[in-house]
Amino acid sequence: MSESLKSGIEQFKDNIFGLKDSLTKSYLRAGKPTSDMSRAALMVNNFFLHIQGAKTHINTLRPAYTLGMGLIAFYLFIITCVSGALVMIFYNPSIEHAYSTVKDINYVVFAGRLMRNVHKWSGEGMIVFVLLHMARVLYTNSYKRGREFNWLIGIVLLVLTFVLNLTGYMLPWDQLSYWALVIVSNIIQSPKELTDILGLTKFVDIGGIQKEFFLAGTVPGAATLNRVYFLHIMLLPIIITTFIGVHFWRIRKDGGLTVPDNFNSSCNVDCGNLVVLPKKTGGIFTTNKTYGLMTMSKGVTPAVDRDVENTVLSWPNLAIAEAAVFVLCLAAVIVYSIFVDAPLKEAANALIPENPAKAPWYFLGLQEMVSYSAFMGSIVIPMLSVLGLALIPYLDRDQSDVGIWFSGSAGKKVAIKTLIVGSVCLIGMLAFVVNFGWFRNWWPSIAQIWIILINPANLWLLFVCAWSIWIIKSTGSTRMGAIALFTMFLVSYLILTYVGTELRGPNWEFFWSKAQWPIH
Amino acid sequence: MQSRFYASLLLISALILLAFVSYAGLRELNPEWKTYQKEYKRLFFNNAVTPDMKKKAAEYTVGIRQIYIKDLNRVDRCDNCHVGVENPLMAKEKVPYRQHSGTYLKDHPVTKFGCTICHLGQGNATNKKEAHAEGHDTYWDYPILPLKHIQSSCTQCHNMDFLSKHGADVIIEGEKLFNEKGCKGCHKLSGNGGVLGKALDGVGSQPIHYFPMRYVEGERTQPSWLKQHFEDPRKVVPESVMKVKLTPEEADKLTTYILSIRTYDPPKIYRRINEEPIVAKDGHALYNMYCVACHEDGKLSAFDENLKGTIPAIENPAFLMNADDRFIEMVVKEGRKGTPMTSWQLSSAGLTDEEIKKIVSYVALQRGHESSKPVSVNLKTGDKDAGKEIFNVRCALCHGEKGQGGLGLNLANQIIKKADDQYLFKTIRDGRATTPMPPFGSTGLGLTDQQIVNVISYIKAF
Repeated sequence: MSESLKSGIEQFKDNIFGLKDSLTKSYLRAGKPTSDMSRAALMVNNFFLHIQGAKTHINTLRPAYTLGMGLIAFYLFIITCVSGALVMIFYNPSIEHAYSTVKDINYVVFAGRLMRNVHKWSGEGMIVFVLLHMARVLYTNSYKRGREFNWLIGIVLLVLTFVLNLTGYMLPWDQLSYWALVIVSNIIQSPKELTDILGLTKFVDIGGIQKEFFLAGTVPGAATLNRVYFLHIMLLPIIITTFIGVHFWRIRKDGGLTVPDNFNSSCNVDCGNLVVLPKKTGGIFTTNKTYGLMTMSKGVTPAVDRDVENTVLSWPNLAIAEAAVFVLCLAAVIVYSIFVDAPLKEAANALIPENPAKAPWYFLGLQEMVSYSAFMGSIVIPMLSVLGLALIPYLDRDQSDVGIWFSGSAGKKVAIKTLIVGSVCLIGMLAFVVNFGWFRNWWPSIAQIWIILINPANLWLLFVCAWSIWIIKSTGSTRMGAIALFTMFLVSYLILTYVGTELRGPNWEFFWSKAQWPIH
Repeated sequence: MQSRFYASLLLISALILLAFVSYAGLRELNPEWKTYQKEYKRLFFNNAVTPDMKKKAAEYTVGIRQIYIKDLNRVDRCDNCHVGVENPLMAKEKVPYRQHSGTYLKDHPVTKFGCTICHLGQGNATNKKEAHAEGHDTYWDYPILPLKHIQSSCTQCHNMDFLSKHGADVIIEGEKLFNEKGCKGCHKLSGNGGVLGKALDGVGSQPIHYFPMRYVEGERTQPSWLKQHFEDPRKVVPESVMKVKLTPEEADKLTTYILSIRTYDPPKIYRRINEEPIVAKDGHALYNMYCVACHEDGKLSAFDENLKGTIPAIENPAFLMNADDRFIEMVVKEGRKGTPMTSWQLSSAGLTDEEIKKIVSYVALQRGHESSKPVSVNLKTGDKDAGKEIFNVRCALCHGEKGQGGLGLNLANQIIKKADDQYLFKTIRDGRATTPMPPFGSTGLGLTDQQIVNVISYIKAF
């Protein structure tokens, strides 16, 4: 009896001292990642890591290939969510208190201002990096061989990122929020411009219905804030998280990131610096054996006819790369947030319009086009742009040169040529409009339908299409057309956004800088 | 073991992150106000004389504080820097450690009133720049009130009677200027006043964006706008027709008064405004309040460049001799359409019939005893066409081809149509002494009585 009691105590003692090992083991299942086997198991057994393969292609780990853009966009989303939750603790979504609680976050919450800045800048950073990620995918020809649908999901994520940012912009209920709300609701209302001309408004006012749905009324008020808040903190995050999940899952199912067909680690990269190469002896990955994880994934089965050498274990190679990018990303956001404050203007006042009343900067390219024609600029052109981007993988079915930047030197030339031609023509057209005006300035009584049909934004869209088709024709390659079209999209977005943000002042007039704005 | 590139990236990023998080943490732990509170504690201890006070000073804890006043819906955090406002030992220190001047805080305990109810500024803020909210980059509608205008805050709770007995001389004189310079002749306030200028209700609490700051010199704030506007109206608002110009001292006082016209009323329990006995104003006071800005003393008729018209001399005995009280009352009540003269009746500029009567009797005080020569022709026999010929030759130069006015008065308006023929006849025949209007009668420029009658019938047809 006493013998067994003693051994029970001893067992208990052993268990206490053995806690560290037993916890680790229960957590890691296959034990510490000391062998190639347990490293592979670590990836497969972990809920968060298993969406990635146990092995990763070396090409995926080349910083010059992915630039880490998609990963950074994702990390910014994580940072936005966490900082958003912290800001949310103190924020009150009512028009009486929204503004003063944001002020309190700035003034008395410990590190509140920093947290708000982090939330703001990481959120807006998402827009930048989602676009850059998109550019990377396009220019490396990575939307092919089963990845077409994931490109579409990416487009959905881009739109969601815009909407998420926009709804957040409304919440402080300051002058910026209020007048952006007014502008955006007017943009939403713009089908009215067309229905007015067609005489349909009195039967079915689509624009008006959309506007009322968005504002929960006819003017921005308490119900609007409530609605926007719900969208911002609940509905949109749920949707975007779901889509991010699907996006990642599909990367895996579509066969991972793209790799050039002729990839050879020894000739393409100096990979010794980047990754830990598999042990040539011991473990399960011997030199004599080719090992493939049998998955249900479609696409090209990894390494059937090539050497296994081009893949390395995800743990630690991928894990450390991802950790490094995350910490870099967090550090960058925090440093930026320490030195640049998120804007906060006077409390919302319906009686004092901001002049110019501007949408958030990422929509100012649209607002610039809205200044030509509300209907075209806010509905037709954005829709056609999104549609055009979405259809790229389906209109360019050329399956060669996947995973190569610009698909080689020809693509690089097309991109540069498009960049130059696009910038020059767009700036030229804007300069013409700024100096000479448009139909309304020449013939003040002209019917609005002519301006809807013929305005700078439409002409530009036509030019972009014509240019892309000409490139297809002259190079004989749809891939070159895709590069031309996307480069034109980037050029237009950048230049129009810059013009709308920096060069447009009161009454949407042109100014070289804000310092020249007339003093009210 | 790990790859060199990513391992070094991780390490460097982690170091940068650590460094800047520490920096942010330190910055967060040492805000601006803490410096002031530490210095305050030192000064407090140094100034303390008795052991009790020394003990109290030693016990002072540095930490964030705020005054929350539910009834005023305010959170004031000013005392994080202005720590010594209630401490008599700090009477001689410099701002922000100094005790509040005077005995104001005895009657207005900080815990009940806070700071921004009188001083304005951004009570929420915990740093000087944003709390004082001076300058446009702080984005706050109500920057701190300059001390020379601080009395404008008193009227929120106190009436003028009380203030005059308690040394609020600036605002009292400001109000006097407001009443005597005839501001309400053009600006409506609380339902009465002219319509040439903007209404003044709530002007003292209108956000800075209401004021066009383009031509304001120096600080672009409400007080400077108001002051410069009073000193030279057209410098600040080029299209202004305002006649009044004040000296800088007067402008300061009037600015204080104008800033006191706010929309925000503190709750009743704060207010010490006993129903002020409404002292009926006499004709002279009313004249100063509503008429003086344009008519001045009423003795001279002069062309005003800004109003683009001649302001009639209403105290001119020659005018009063011909115009009876009934006619003047009608002009005051209905105004002169087509001229800046406002209609003053209750339904427009808001004066009661009684007040208008008082003004008329005040104006009529200047009327002499002699009356003009009676009219000896039949006034109904005017010939319009003959009148037109005479008018174009003799009258149009001053009164305009269509009677629209110029150097002379605008004749094409309702009041002239309604005017008594006798009055018009006498005015033309006898002229208006001390104005450019000469006597046109047979003893003057030689029109016959019948010709005058013809002219009248033409004028009435405009």
